[in-house]
Amino acid sequence: MNQASASLAVDAPWVVIKFGGTSVSTRARWDNIASIAATHREAGKRVLIVVSALSGITDLLKGIGEGFADEARCAELLDTIVARHRSLFGELGLLKRNAIDAWMAQLEHLLADPRRAGGGFDWQADVLAIGELSSSTLGSSYLNALGLTTHWLDSRDYLCAEALPNQSAWGRCLSASVRVRHDPAVMAKLAARGDVFIAQGFIARSADGATAVLGRGGSDTSAAYFGALLKAEAVEIWTDVPGMFSANPRQVPDARLLARLDYAEAQEIATTGAKVLHPRCIHPVRDERVPIRIKDTNRPELPGTEIVWNTQSTAPSIKAISSRKGITLVSMESISMWQQVGFLADVFEAFKRHGLSVDLIGSAETNVTVSLDPSDNLLSTDVLARLCVDLEAFCRVKVIAPCAAITLVGRGMRAMLHRLSAVLAEFGALDVHLISQSSNNLNLTFVVDEAVVDALIPRLHALLIRAEVMRVGDAAVFGPSWRELAEEAVSIRLPPWWQRERARLLELAAASTPRYVYSLDQVREQARGLLGLGMVDRWHYALKANPHPQILRCLQVEGFAFECVSWNEVKAVRAALPDLPAERILFTPNFAPRGEYRAALVAGVRVTLDALHPIVEWGADFAGHEIFLRVDLGAGRGHHDKVKTGGAQSKFGVSLDEIETFRSYARQHGARIVGLHAHLGSGILDAQHWRSVYVQLASLAERFNRIEVLDLGGGLGVPSRPEDVPLDLVALGAALAEVKQAYPQFQLWMEPGRYLVAEAGVLLARVTQTKHKGDVHYLGIDAGMNSLIRPALYEAWHEIVNLTRLDAEADDLVQIVGPICETGDVLGSNRRLPTSYENDVILIAEAGAYGAVMSSHYNLREPAGETIL
Amino acid sequence: MNPVDPRSAQAFRFVRREYSAGEVRLVYAFDDGPELIERIGFPDAPAVLPERQAAFDAALDLLHLIAGVSYYKAGVPSTILVEGTALDVATAGFLDALYVHGLGEFGYHNKIDMRGRIRFPASAASAEMRAMPNGLPRNTLVPIGGGKDSLVSVEVLKRAGESATAVWIGSSGLIESCAQRTGLPMLNIARSISPILFDYNRAGAFNGHIPVTAINSAILVAAAILYGHDAIAFSNERSASSATLEYDGVPINHQWSKGWGFEQSFRDLIHARVAADLNYFSLLRPLSELAVASRFAQNNRYDDVFSSCNRNFRILGPKPSDRWCGQCPKCHFVFLALAPFMPKPRLLGIFGRNLLDDPAQTGGFDALIEYHDHKPFECVGEGRESRAALAELARRAEWREDAVVERFAHEILPQLDAAELAIEPLLVVEGEQRIPAHLLALIESG
Repeated sequence: MNQASASLAVDAPWVVIKFGGTSVSTRARWDNIASIAATHREAGKRVLIVVSALSGITDLLKGIGEGFADEARCAELLDTIVARHRSLFGELGLLKRNAIDAWMAQLEHLLADPRRAGGGFDWQADVLAIGELSSSTLGSSYLNALGLTTHWLDSRDYLCAEALPNQSAWGRCLSASVRVRHDPAVMAKLAARGDVFIAQGFIARSADGATAVLGRGGSDTSAAYFGALLKAEAVEIWTDVPGMFSANPRQVPDARLLARLDYAEAQEIATTGAKVLHPRCIHPVRDERVPIRIKDTNRPELPGTEIVWNTQSTAPSIKAISSRKGITLVSMESISMWQQVGFLADVFEAFKRHGLSVDLIGSAETNVTVSLDPSDNLLSTDVLARLCVDLEAFCRVKVIAPCAAITLVGRGMRAMLHRLSAVLAEFGALDVHLISQSSNNLNLTFVVDEAVVDALIPRLHALLIRAEVMRVGDAAVFGPSWRELAEEAVSIRLPPWWQRERARLLELAAASTPRYVYSLDQVREQARGLLGLGMVDRWHYALKANPHPQILRCLQVEGFAFECVSWNEVKAVRAALPDLPAERILFTPNFAPRGEYRAALVAGVRVTLDALHPIVEWGADFAGHEIFLRVDLGAGRGHHDKVKTGGAQSKFGVSLDEIETFRSYARQHGARIVGLHAHLGSGILDAQHWRSVYVQLASLAERFNRIEVLDLGGGLGVPSRPEDVPLDLVALGAALAEVKQAYPQFQLWMEPGRYLVAEAGVLLARVTQTKHKGDVHYLGIDAGMNSLIRPALYEAWHEIVNLTRLDAEADDLVQIVGPICETGDVLGSNRRLPTSYENDVILIAEAGAYGAVMSSHYNLREPAGETIL
Repeated sequence: MNPVDPRSAQAFRFVRREYSAGEVRLVYAFDDGPELIERIGFPDAPAVLPERQAAFDAALDLLHLIAGVSYYKAGVPSTILVEGTALDVATAGFLDALYVHGLGEFGYHNKIDMRGRIRFPASAASAEMRAMPNGLPRNTLVPIGGGKDSLVSVEVLKRAGESATAVWIGSSGLIESCAQRTGLPMLNIARSISPILFDYNRAGAFNGHIPVTAINSAILVAAAILYGHDAIAFSNERSASSATLEYDGVPINHQWSKGWGFEQSFRDLIHARVAADLNYFSLLRPLSELAVASRFAQNNRYDDVFSSCNRNFRILGPKPSDRWCGQCPKCHFVFLALAPFMPKPRLLGIFGRNLLDDPAQTGGFDALIEYHDHKPFECVGEGRESRAALAELARRAEWREDAVVERFAHEILPQLDAAELAIEPLLVVEGEQRIPAHLLALIESG
C-alpha cells in the first residue's frame, strides 16, 4: 500500500471509522479496512480506526466473567480465545507475535488473579477489555505491515468514564458512560504523532484508574465519543447493511434506504426497532454536531445513511415505520382515579416493586394503560400475576397480550395527521389498544395485536407512500429500496404498448373522443404470462372486468374458462362464444335472485353459493348437483376498502363458523360440495397472499369428503404508480407450487379479471377548457366519471399523459377533471403534465378493466365508446 | 374408471395381506370390485428374525383386520368375509367391538345403527392361547402426535432413563419438528390409503370418523416386533374413556380407541395372539387432561413447535397462527387447560393471541363447559375440567377481566356447584391403568 509520504497538516480534518466484530475477523476484511483508511488519508484526512473484538470473543470473555467460579470452564474458554487470536495472527501472515501474546498472557494472569474468586465487576471489566485490546493490536501490526503507518492508542487514555449519582457497581464497571468535549489539545498531540490511528471500542477508564466497559452497542458509542473529542468531520459506522431503512427490510422489501436523518429521528428509529445503530451513540455527537454515516463494508460506493444536526428538508415527511413485538399491556381502570392524588404514584410503585419497567403510557380520566417490553421474567415467572394481585388493591386490571407497537417516525408528526386517513382506516379494522403521540412530535405509536403485524407493516408502508406522507420522491431523504439494492439494479419496466401505437391512437382520437381503445396483443401477453406459471389447473377470466366480445374470444383461444357473476354475464359469454362448453362457465353470484341459480343449473354451468340462504331456503333446487362453496376466510385485502371482499364487513362468502351448517343442509338436500372458493380482494401485489389463502382453503377442504377443486379467486395486482413493483409471477408460481406439493389431491383454479385487461385498455379524451383558481390549475377533458369512475369510487390512480405532447417537459401541476357536475369528477390530482391546450389528446392508462363496463349516462352525457386495435 | 357406489355392495372382503422388503400391503374389496390396497412402509426395515416370524405374521394378520375399518365404512355392507384365514371367537369378538364402537360417531352422523350390521365370522373355536415371548430388547416406542400429551410422555420416559424411540405414522412436518426437539431416536412409518377410496367418496360412499388409534396401535405392534421394542407407550389420558354423547341408548365416544376399554382388550389380544413380552399401555391413563397440562407446563422446551390444533397444518411457518387455528375445540381446550399452570405471557406467546379475550370464541368455550350445548366430537377434556379451569381463572387477577372469563364469572359461575369447581381433586392420579411401576412412580410424583 502506498502512503502519501508527506505528513498531513496539523489542522487536517479527522474521520473516525468504526468496524464491528465480523469486519475484523479475517484478513480480507482487514485489507478492506486498510483500503478505507488509506482512501481517507489520501483525501487529506487524519483517520482514527475504532474496532470491536473479533466476532464471538466478547461472548467468550463474558463466559469467563460470569462463570468465574468454574475454573476449569474458564481455562477452556481461555484456550478457545487464545486459539482464535493465534489463528488470525497466522492468517494475517505477521511475523512478531509478542504484542498479541502479551494480551493473552494478561488474560491468563486475570484468571490467576485473586479477584477472580469473587467475580467482582471491576475484574470482569478487565477481562472483557482484552477482546478489543487484542483485535486492535493485531490490526495495528497488520496495517503497519501493509505499509500504512498506524499508531496504536489505548482508548482508556482518552475516554474517561463518568460517575453517575446512584450508579450501581455493575453500572460503573460494565455499563459506563463517558462525557466528552472537543479537546483541541488532544487533537494537536495526536497530529504531532502521525496520520492514522487505531483504538478500541467498548472500553474506557474510570476516575480511579480502573478499566470500565460501555455496555451494549459499546463500540458504536466509542466511535461517537472519539468523533466528539476530535470534532471529526464524520464518524463512519461500517456494517454489513447499506444503512438505515424506512422499515425493516425483512418485513418490507420495498423499504427505502434513508439517505439523511437528523439526530433525533435516527435515535427514535434506532430505539423503536432498527438494529443497525445503537441509540446511545447519537447523544455524544449531537453537541459537537459531528455527522454519523452508516456505510456498507461490502459496497463502499453506496452513500449509506447520513445522520446530521439538521436535514434542511422543509416538507415534513414520515421517515420510517418500525415495529416491536412481544409487548404486554396492563390496563388499569379505576372510577376513583379522577383527580385522586397519588393514584399514578401507587400504580408505578407496584411496577417498580416487581422490577418491571414501563415503556408507553396512555391515560384517561378512569384508565391508565402501560406497556411492558418483552422480558424473560414475564415468560418464566409469575411476576405478572403477582403484579396484578397488588394492582387490584386500587383498580381493575386487565392484561392485553401479545401485542406489538407500531411506530411512525418523522419530524413534525402532528402536521401530517390529516393526511394519514388511509393509514388510520387500516387501523380502523383492527383493535388498537393504545395510541401514543410523543410530545417531541417525532413519533406516533399504535399498539395492536401481535398477530396482525407482519402483514400490516408492508401495507402501512405502501399506504404511507401512497398518501404522500412518506415522501419517497425526495431524493435528499430517501434512497433506493432494499429490493432494488438486492437486485443491484432498478427493475426497468418496458414502455407500455400505447407509446408504440401513439400515431394510431392520435388518429382515433381525432375521429371521436372520449374513446376506450384496447390492445388484444396486450391481453394475450398477460394471459400467456399466467399460463406460463403451470401451477394452475384452470384459469378463468372474470369477465365483469371487461365483457367485450372480442376480449372473450381472444381469451377463449388462449385456453381460459370464464367466471360470471350474473345471469346476464352468462348469457353474454354464451352469445359471444357459442361453442364454449357450459361446464367451463363458473357462476359466482352474490345475493342473486333464485331464478338466476335455477337458470344456471338448467344450463349446466357450475354454480357457487356464497350464503346459507340458497341452500337453506331453496335446497331442493340443488339436489343432485355439484356445487362450489365460497367461504370467507376472515381478513379481506385490497388496495381500497371498497375492493376488499373478506371479513365480517364484507357481504361475500359464508363465514367459517357457518360452514358446518351449510354442509348439513347440502347433505340433507343431496347437493355435493366439490369446490371451495375464496376471494379476498383486489389489486394485491404480494405473492405470499395467495399462498396463505391456498393453505387455508386446502386445510379446510381436507375436512370435507369430496372437494376436488380449490378456487383462489383473483385479485392479481396490476402496478399503477411508478413506484409499484409488478407482481412477481415467479414468486407466485413458487408459492403455489409449495402448497400444491403438500395438497396434490386438489385441482387449483384461479379467476383473474383486471390483471388480464387493465393494461390493455386506454381512455382517450380531449382537453375542453383550462382554468386557474388561486394556486390550483384545472385541466378539463371530455371524459368524466361517467366514462371512468374508478378514481372517484376507489381513489384509483391512473397514469395520465398528454399524448399530443408526449415528449414535452411535464412541468405544470394540474388537476385533471371531467365535465360531470360532481365535485368528485376528478380523474387525477396533482399531476405533472406539459402545458396543455384545448383539443390536446389526453391518455388515461390502465383503463381496460372496470372502465367502459362501469360507465353511465349520468348528466345524460354519452360515455366513451370502445375500439379494438 | 367409474367405480360403483360401495353403499350398494353386498359384502366387504378381507382379501389378503402381503409383506416384502419393508412394505406391508393390505388388500380389501367390496364384492367383486377393484382391490383396495393400503400400503404401510417400514423405513430401513431389518430382516424379520426367524424366532419372531410367527409373531410378525400374527401382527400383520391383526393389522389387516383392524385397518379394514377405513374401507369397510365406505359401504357398511351387512356381510363381512375374511378370506385365507380363520378367525377364532375371541378375535372376532374383539373386532366386532372395535367396529361397532370405533364407528359409533360415524354411525351417528350417517344415521346407521352399527350394532346390527357387524358380525366378523368366527370359525375356529377359541382355544386358550398364549403367544410366546420373543426376546424383545428393552426399548419403548413412543408415538408422537405433535400435541402436548405425547411430549409429556417423552419427558417422563427420559426422566426414567428409558431407551425410547419417537415414532409417527405418515408425513407431518409438525410432528417431525416435535420429534426432533425430543432428542430421541426417530422412526417415521409411511402409510398410504388406497386411492380408490377417493373415487368411492366421489361416487357417494359413506364417510366419517374412524378409530385411527386402533389402526396406529396395530401398525406399531408390527413395528415393535420388526425393529425390536418391548413396549408401546401411548399417551391417552383418563377422560378419553368417557362417552361424548348418548344416542338411542348407546354411549358414543369420539375417541373410543383411545379409551381404557380398547387399551385393555387390545393388550390382552396381543399377549394372547402376538407376543407375550410386548407391553402396550398408556402412560397418561390415570391423569386428567388438566393433570397432563400441568405437567406439560413445567417444561418450555416444546413451546414453539407443538400443536394440538385439529387443523392439519401441512405447511408450517414460524408464526403461532401457522400451528394454532384458534377456532377449533382443541385450540379452545388446550388454551384453557394450560392457562392455570403457566405465566399468561408465555401462554399468549404460544398461541399468538388470547382466545379467552375474544368474544367470538364464547360459543366454543361454552361447548367445553357443556353450557347450552353438548360436548363436541373432539378429543377434549371433560366438562368439569373446563369448568374448574375457568373457575380458577376467574379467581386470578391477571385473567378475570378477559371477555370469556368475565362472562363466565358473572353469568355461569353462580349457577354452578362451588364444591365441584376445585382444580386440586382433578389433578389426583387415579383410576384404571397398567403402567409399569417405576414409570407410574414418576407419573404420581407430578
